[in-house]
Amino acid sequence: MKRLLILFSLTLLYICDARAQEKIILLNEGMWQADNGRLSYFEDGSIVSNQWFRDRNGMKLGDTPNDIIQINDTLIAIAINWSNIVQFINPDGKVVAATEDIPNNRRLCSDGEYVYVTSYGHECETIEGTVYFDKGFVAKIDISTFKVVATCEVGYEPEGIALYEGRLFVANTGGYAFEEGHEFETTVSIINAGTMTVEKTIDTGVPNLYGEMSQSERYLCINSPGDYYEVPPCGLIFDCKKALNNEDCVVVFDYPATYNTTTLDGKFFAVGSSFSYLTGEYEFSQLTIDPKEMMETGGERGLSESLPGTLKADFMNMNQPYGIYVNPYTGYIYGTDAGSFEGAGYLYQWSPDGQLLGKHKVYINPGHFLALPPDGHFDGISPLTASTFGEGIEEAVYDLQGRRLPTRLLPQSGSMKRSGIYIKNGKKTLYNR
Amino acid sequence: MVNIQYSMGKYYLLAILATVLAFAVTASASAQNPTDSIKQLHEVTVTSKQPVRTIATSQTLSGADLQALSTTSVADALKYFAGVQIKDYGGLGGLKTINVRSLGAQHVGVYVDGIRLTNAQNGTVDLGKFSLSSMETVSLYNANRLDYCQSASEYASGATVYLQTKRPTHDSLSVQLRNASFHTWMAKVNGQFNWKGWQGFVDGEYCTSRGDYPFRYHSEYEDTVGRRANSDIRYGRVEAALFKGGFSSHIYYYDSERGCPGGIVRRLSDKYTNVGREWDRDFFVQASYQERFFKKVLFKANTKYANEYLRYCTDYPENQNTARVNNHYRQQDAYGALCAAYMPWDWLSLSSSYDIRYSILKADLKRFDDVKRVDQKLVFAAQMRWNGIQAAVSALHQRYSDWTFVHAGAADPIDKWTPAVSLAYTFYGITVRGWYKEIFRAPTLNDLYYTQVGNRNLKPEDTKQLNLGAEYHWNNKQWAVDVQADIYRNKIENRIVCLPLKGTYTWSMMNYGKTFCRGLNATLKGHYHTKQWNFSLLSSITWQRDVDRTDPTDEDMYDKPICYSPTFSSGITGIAGWRSLQFTTSYLYVGERMWSKADSEDILEPYHNIDMKLSYTHDIKKVSLGLCLEVCDVLDIQYEHIPRYPMPGRNYKITLSFGV
Repeated sequence: MKRLLILFSLTLLYICDARAQEKIILLNEGMWQADNGRLSYFEDGSIVSNQWFRDRNGMKLGDTPNDIIQINDTLIAIAINWSNIVQFINPDGKVVAATEDIPNNRRLCSDGEYVYVTSYGHECETIEGTVYFDKGFVAKIDISTFKVVATCEVGYEPEGIALYEGRLFVANTGGYAFEEGHEFETTVSIINAGTMTVEKTIDTGVPNLYGEMSQSERYLCINSPGDYYEVPPCGLIFDCKKALNNEDCVVVFDYPATYNTTTLDGKFFAVGSSFSYLTGEYEFSQLTIDPKEMMETGGERGLSESLPGTLKADFMNMNQPYGIYVNPYTGYIYGTDAGSFEGAGYLYQWSPDGQLLGKHKVYINPGHFLALPPDGHFDGISPLTASTFGEGIEEAVYDLQGRRLPTRLLPQSGSMKRSGIYIKNGKKTLYNR
Repeated sequence: MVNIQYSMGKYYLLAILATVLAFAVTASASAQNPTDSIKQLHEVTVTSKQPVRTIATSQTLSGADLQALSTTSVADALKYFAGVQIKDYGGLGGLKTINVRSLGAQHVGVYVDGIRLTNAQNGTVDLGKFSLSSMETVSLYNANRLDYCQSASEYASGATVYLQTKRPTHDSLSVQLRNASFHTWMAKVNGQFNWKGWQGFVDGEYCTSRGDYPFRYHSEYEDTVGRRANSDIRYGRVEAALFKGGFSSHIYYYDSERGCPGGIVRRLSDKYTNVGREWDRDFFVQASYQERFFKKVLFKANTKYANEYLRYCTDYPENQNTARVNNHYRQQDAYGALCAAYMPWDWLSLSSSYDIRYSILKADLKRFDDVKRVDQKLVFAAQMRWNGIQAAVSALHQRYSDWTFVHAGAADPIDKWTPAVSLAYTFYGITVRGWYKEIFRAPTLNDLYYTQVGNRNLKPEDTKQLNLGAEYHWNNKQWAVDVQADIYRNKIENRIVCLPLKGTYTWSMMNYGKTFCRGLNATLKGHYHTKQWNFSLLSSITWQRDVDRTDPTDEDMYDKPICYSPTFSSGITGIAGWRSLQFTTSYLYVGERMWSKADSEDILEPYHNIDMKLSYTHDIKKVSLGLCLEVCDVLDIQYEHIPRYPMPGRNYKITLSFGV
């Protein structure tokens, strides 16, 4: 009996040890019109599969997937652009639902109940019938029905989307359909997520707000590739709170932030490059941005041309950088290289201090990441109140999209507004206001 | 700009002077040796059954063999040649281009009666636009066709396809009506005359097809069935030609509207399907005159004017994925060439030619302005035939100058000499040959100036071809046998490709990459005929290994096969005729090809294609009636040339014809 107990404990120990901490779903865009978008699944230092969606569902994902987010603990959404599909899967990769009501979908965000999708298209199927738009739009999908319940027209070709204080912040590009009779957009549309109406449109003065957009609480990191001619690429820090308060909310810096991500301490890492047709040369940039300092100093300080450890050198050695991501649960850093033309791309993994841990062959154009919570997080829900939630405050608290909550928003600070499920101390916790 | 124009003008004034002078000098050197002038004139009309033994590697389909194939366009005929890869987006309306020995479609020059079909915009010719009904022969030359007197343009491509129009021998009028699968209807009228040394024809065709063929993708992870949408085409073509002796002329007009279907990708319904629509209007008129003076001097002049119009629209509202595009492109081309050859002795020929082409491209793209290009070519060539030894050398100079107000400005002029050498020896009916050719393709106007993608810093794409081969011919009254085999190696440098720019979300034309290709082409032709029976067997095989040699440090790519390039392909065509009944079976095999190097699963499966054709003509007094039945892709293998672009699968055609 004793021996059995020891054996049992050892097995348990082994199981605990074997629990995965690093779980990354990687979106490979594939090639346009080749129907070869794929999911790669990476767990603790190795690729589990480079065709994970197919393994799980016996079907293909579709053509040119463009974004992936976690909605809640059971649901993940993927925007599959050329297939016109928003695909819902569970964290095991199994198909839950799919809708083609939002053609030409681009990027996603969610508050746990609704998914907000930007689209370059000009029509949308909603519960009240088909809605048509001159410009682009944002659709609001109710995840209890997977139907579009409301839409809101924004600028031409809206790209990045983020949620702050009940508002959606949408970066407009206007650069995709450049043969149409409109110029590049320079605006960020602010939408009331509840009513789905535009509250405000902020002119950033910078054209073509295209590409990755990261959020660190009230700050957004937005990229502008320029107009590909006279106007050079640059990056923007956008302060959502100031925007809502009608203050100056944009700081522009002279480096492109083509690929960017939010770090554990609320900064941004950005990797960008600009190509000069005149010299035929690339200029690369690798940045760490402190948005708070940058906003406070009007761009004087807060930007350093560095990344932790070997990241900068490793990115310089890549054939074609295609993405950067920090696991919000663990701080491990990921980057992708789209590799050579027609070839497979690579996933790089670094430790939080920037030491390269490995390089893994994935598939064509690996560009978008989603970290799943480490395994320990799914062992039950312990109900907490504002007073008990504050215990062990040195541990970070996350929402279910993996976004770290800033300290001042935590329950004991009294400003936590929403009841809901949060992740703390590696456990899922229910907070009742 | 003025400076360039001036210096260019000066340079080419000299060149023209040199050519004219050479011509004048050679012309003044009067005739002494009355030699094989008849044979030389035969080169113009390639209808003679006797193959002219050449030192060039060439394949030809002519007359009866050409008409016996189950073909609707020139592209269909070329796929039976060794070393040819077809790129086809499926259906009737899909773009059809050919690639010879992996050089790339833009290295293939297509010539109608010795004058090049051009497309300054993208450099490729859609072979689907040319009908075989007005053609006498279709030939493919891997290096230069070595004629005594040919224009400099004919030396300027990596591989050349010659379309030789028919010279009528008698008056006739014929009408054809066809119904084919997928709602395809076609009507064709052809009238020919031969009167006092003047010959000519008028050929008109109208075709409409819905192209809505069914397709199925079936594998362990998908079962997609559907009908091809937006694959329709409607076209009309009228052409006429007039010949007299050394004079030939051709006028051509083509008008079409077609759908450009996209790849078959995952969709939840048929709600959103299409990609775009295209309207084309192509017109050209050309004339050529060749004359022999004093028996030793051959002179030729070519001239051509071409006008092309293209409109491309994305098909809103069905297609929500693309931008609402409605672009118009207009292209005009004026061309002239002077060639002179001097044969001081009957074993030697010296020739020179000067070509000039002026192109202008207009498009209503944003941030685009008219582009004008002057393309000048000058060639000096020498050929000799002596006791079974044949040799040819040529040096070609090309100069491209562009003018534009496009933002980035015009590209620097290209100014380059390229050589070609051929050597052959004939003994006991066997010819052994070797040749080497360097040639480049200039970046097209799209490559250089297309909004957002164009790159004015592009260098020309260079190719070097080396070939060793042998051919043998034997015939008697009933039998004829032709065998040839060639081994070759090609190197391509500074490939012009469209690449995504590192980390900028944009694509651009770039010079990137080197490839190296080794291969073997072999063909065997046999003919047998008696009074009532005739049999033909045409076969070709291609083996080649085409690899990437760009970056030795890139293990995933270096020395790995190039995408879309099959290692092995072959074709066999058998034709059996009895009186006026004829049966043809064509078989084509294309081995597996990678379409990406990311995963070993990304292959296009090998395919076998069998076409059959049965035709019968019956004469009632002076009227001939014909009936023709065709089955294409008998095995119903919906193979792909491009992933997710399925070909139509098994389809049928029935054609009725009346002739007087």
